[in-house]
Amino acid sequence: MKWRKLGQIFDPTDHTLPNNCFGYAQSPQTLVMDDRVRVYFSTRERDPVGKYLSHVAYVDFDRPLQHILGISDHTVIELGKLGCFDEHGIFPVNVIRVEDSIRAYTTGWNRKVSVSADASIGLAISHDEGRTFEKYGSGPVLSASLHEPFLVGDAFVARYDGLYRMWYIYGTNWKKFSENDPPDRVYKIAHATSTDGIDWKREGRQIIADRLNADECQALPTVFYLNGSYHMYFCYRQAHGFRQQSNNAYRLGYACSQDLVNWERDDSQAGIDVAEDGWDSQMQCYPHVFHLDGRVYMLYNGNEFGRHGFGLAVLESA
Amino acid sequence: MFKWEKLGKIFDPKDLQDKSWMKEFAQSPSVLIFEKHVRVYFCSRPAPTQEGQYLSYLSYIDLDRDNLLHILDICQAPILSLGKLGTFDEFGTNPISVIRAGDEVRVYYAGWTRCESVPINGAIGIAISRDGGNSFSRLGDGPVISYTVDEPFMMGSPRIRKLGDKWYLWYVAGKEWLQSGSKPEPVYKIRLASSDDGINWVKHGKDMLESRLGEHECQACADVMFRDNRYHMFFSYRNSHNYKTSEGGYRIGYASSDDMFNWVRRDEMAGMMVSESGWDSEMVNYPHVFMLDGETYMLYQGNGMGRSGIGLARLIGPQDWRSI
Repeated sequence: MKWRKLGQIFDPTDHTLPNNCFGYAQSPQTLVMDDRVRVYFSTRERDPVGKYLSHVAYVDFDRPLQHILGISDHTVIELGKLGCFDEHGIFPVNVIRVEDSIRAYTTGWNRKVSVSADASIGLAISHDEGRTFEKYGSGPVLSASLHEPFLVGDAFVARYDGLYRMWYIYGTNWKKFSENDPPDRVYKIAHATSTDGIDWKREGRQIIADRLNADECQALPTVFYLNGSYHMYFCYRQAHGFRQQSNNAYRLGYACSQDLVNWERDDSQAGIDVAEDGWDSQMQCYPHVFHLDGRVYMLYNGNEFGRHGFGLAVLESA
Repeated sequence: MFKWEKLGKIFDPKDLQDKSWMKEFAQSPSVLIFEKHVRVYFCSRPAPTQEGQYLSYLSYIDLDRDNLLHILDICQAPILSLGKLGTFDEFGTNPISVIRAGDEVRVYYAGWTRCESVPINGAIGIAISRDGGNSFSRLGDGPVISYTVDEPFMMGSPRIRKLGDKWYLWYVAGKEWLQSGSKPEPVYKIRLASSDDGINWVKHGKDMLESRLGEHECQACADVMFRDNRYHMFFSYRNSHNYKTSEGGYRIGYASSDDMFNWVRRDEMAGMMVSESGWDSEMVNYPHVFMLDGETYMLYQGNGMGRSGIGLARLIGPQDWRSI
């Protein structure tokens, strides 16, 4: 794979954001429409106790992805009610067109006491071309299970041969690396299938091999089909010290599959890496690959997990 | 109407003369019958933290099968550890329900976790004993009954039954958190799931009972028995607020069903009332009905939702439950 970077295309601080949000445009994910490309992302409000709440917003680009047409100025998906899985934020969101509606697979966050938070995957449905979404129930479609005990999130859903497939992550461990730091989490990529996109059957295993070590964190898979193979990009990092130290921070990983069951990980084939300097020099994370007008593009976040927005790359050769 | 003879309180950790890890509470009794004794599993607590927060652990007492008021043995240490950091059962395993499965004993339990905006959340897990019920280890770090689209939080109060080849789990699911008093209070209702192996569950997605105390009635502990060709359920119900008092506290209700899915609620038949005075004068709750040596018994907890211990009652009649 060989990607050509087209640079940072959206900085949230240049715009007025909905829901009192002040910055961050994380995990950009697209809905390709007739006259535009709608890019959903999660942006952040600071709540009265000083903690973050992530909200879903979107920015519309013209079809060549050259110009911004507008930004959502309304609530796209409400946060959950008291005690619900998505009470304290929705991040990220993955959208897929299903007949006349648009479905959003959300990762909802709720704060806890012994660890910072837990997450589950929810579903919300839009009947107005993705402008607003109604939750499908107040609970999640995928949450903790016997061998996936917490932090179920980062859904990416695609349909191949009529079957819905979800790639997602699940937590395996909360780990104290030092006396003074709060516990860090470890999570891995998994796979589930469904005939209706609502009731999911888990495959029940980690599908992408670790490369760094057993505590490697793997996140945000995105899958696409090209030249007879399935390709997955994701991000991965060390479990500890990943915020300050660039060496431990997120990088983009790559895996390939012929059958959607067995994945061969080979990060050296990713064809994209952190820059020498600039907005994506410290980290790269939350990749989203999509087809548009005969080309393959990747949206992704750079330094500080997308605090300053996202950038675009185009696939030059595969 | 059922007529019960109260045989009195059988256990309260506060009455223990010897030093025990159990400081307070005996909640959610569930029996396992042995040749010479009846083991009553329940949930108990060490002293709370300085902030008043409790952990709840699985415990037991052994009763003499020939005289159930005689305690033969008392659990010396918790028989199931709590869950790891960040898991659903990190802060408690309560309530519980115990069942034999071949050579194993299984406990189905509600795990407690602590949250920021609400005090607690719950999900249901399984632990297995391979030494006849003396010690248990969890099947996995996560729950088997977790949050789903129409059951968003507070899974709890499991009661496990195997009827024929099929496993059934009565449990409660949270509906909403009410923000009106000093801290949020949950509303939960009785639900049912079924399974071929007791591990992978299909939720039936419907409240089993109508609510008598309005939409905010809390229902718990659906103790179901098949007898005389019908299904019978004893359960607890209370108001969502002011429930730690005599007035709003738990009572024992009764319902019956021909098919396990459609229930007719007839609380007036339950026949288990609060006493005039004493340990069960403010509330009676968490009933567990079992048959032993030709008699039918009910274990239940009293005031303070089990803070004052567990008691036993014997069924006087009727013995034929067809006409209930």
